[in-house]
Amino acid sequence: MSEWWDYGLADLLLFSPRVYYRLFEIMNTTWWLVVVSALVAGVIASGLALRHGFRGNRVILVLLALVWAWCGYGFLWQYYSPINWAIPYLLPGFALQVVLFAIFAARPLPLRFGWRGDFSSYVGLTLVAFALIAFPFVGLIEGRDLLQAELFGSAADPTALGTLGFVLLSRGTWRWALLPVPLLWCVISAGTLWVMDQQVAFVMLAAVWVTVFCGWLDLKNGVTTKRLTEAEIKDPAS
Amino acid sequence: MSDFDRRKFLKSTGAVAALGGLGVFGLGTNRHAFAQSDAATDQPEVIQKTIPSTGETIPAVGLGSWITFNVGNDIELRKQCADVMSAFFRSGGRMIDSSPMYGSAQDVIGYGLDALGAHKKVFSTDKVWTSGDGASQIKETSERWKVQQFDLLQVHNLLGINENLPLLFRMKDAGQLRYVGVTTSHGRRTEDLIAVMKNERLDFVQVTYNPVDRKVEDYLLPLAYDRGIAVIINRPFRGGSLPERLEGEPLPEFARELEVKSWAQLILKYLISHPAVTCPIPATTKPAHAMENMAAATGALPDEKMREQIAAVIGVLV
Repeated sequence: MSEWWDYGLADLLLFSPRVYYRLFEIMNTTWWLVVVSALVAGVIASGLALRHGFRGNRVILVLLALVWAWCGYGFLWQYYSPINWAIPYLLPGFALQVVLFAIFAARPLPLRFGWRGDFSSYVGLTLVAFALIAFPFVGLIEGRDLLQAELFGSAADPTALGTLGFVLLSRGTWRWALLPVPLLWCVISAGTLWVMDQQVAFVMLAAVWVTVFCGWLDLKNGVTTKRLTEAEIKDPAS
Repeated sequence: MSDFDRRKFLKSTGAVAALGGLGVFGLGTNRHAFAQSDAATDQPEVIQKTIPSTGETIPAVGLGSWITFNVGNDIELRKQCADVMSAFFRSGGRMIDSSPMYGSAQDVIGYGLDALGAHKKVFSTDKVWTSGDGASQIKETSERWKVQQFDLLQVHNLLGINENLPLLFRMKDAGQLRYVGVTTSHGRRTEDLIAVMKNERLDFVQVTYNPVDRKVEDYLLPLAYDRGIAVIINRPFRGGSLPERLEGEPLPEFARELEVKSWAQLILKYLISHPAVTCPIPATTKPAHAMENMAAATGALPDEKMREQIAAVIGVLV
């Protein structure tokens, strides 16, 4: 007898939008200090990542590791897993992402954040800006309370989306390792949001496609394969 | 598939007395033997349906928990679910259905039963949903509901049927379970379901049925009736989309005889008037809707002619 493959996407979504968005309201009001701090961490990281020169690399990686750790433990484990049986299977991905950021921060690997001025950089900037600034207001457009805003650093969707942007703002072969988990989350979340009839599903899916495209472009242009020279470390736009 | 004749089956429902006292009088409606109301709690008179395998009767409308009760640890929403359960019980309801698939719904039901002290009142209905260790899952389910023993356990969507159905029968034989059933939804796996219904001594089967999704009328419902298997109906409102689509449309004139106040009540009366149907399990987040649903299990029910009219009208409107 056929079994698991009988289920469609809609069958696997077992919570309502009402319940889902209340998770953010409860988290934002209960943990407001941590939520705001995580958002500020994202703003600081973005400021560092957009500068000329590769200074602040380690700070960016540590901040990203911390927000992913908070997002995984605070949001996914504490709030989302009670209503979504699939979350425990996805948590190891978040743990892996934290470990990768931590390793890159601790080891002198060829991964450097910095504004390059190419197409991929602009896409990265757009994704980071959307995640930090616009995403919280998506709910308002859809008629939800601002207390239910999804904030970078605490809510998984803007965190994953913004991380794709951060990765596009980096160069070096090892940046590939940082992409699978946020890409996978964006795909899964797009499916969830689509079944819940939320338009932002298309933004998540678009982010996946444009990141993959930019990754291919960067591969062609040597952003991820060419060794960084001393001059480029000093000024990545050179 | 046998050539069981649906029309012949429906004509044979003069034997519906075996299903809890349904009788057919006059031209437009069914009049039913009402259950004695509970004077002590002043509950309304609710139509009872008989479980064929034992003769036990249960109220003709139950309460589902798919999506509506999956509210996690949100205390405010848990209290709202408890309010729904309270309204449901006060209106004469008993069967509450859930599944391990429904997230935190089982925990929330347990919370509600605790808050209301309703462990003895509920007809506890849940499912085993695993291709792994069914016994462990059932134990966990029991802990979440905070009940010692379930009235009915069902193999959810026939998953792991070869392992889980024998497990449930062993539990029943050992006195750890009162009834055994299987479920499907959306009309899936009909052939597999028919095979199980024909070959196993099921007490219950749960299928999707509503005035738009009527395929079960052709064979499954007559088969269940013929085999003495009680029938629970899931998706009576198509996941809520039927009442939404019908909102704003005036009720048909002929429905006046049924004294319904909403399309939801009309749909439920359509379902419970089928002689093979034991209990639809609509889900809701609103206590008023729980009471409204239970009210559909009182008063007159449509006869065959009116049932066809109801299906025709709803079919046109949606």
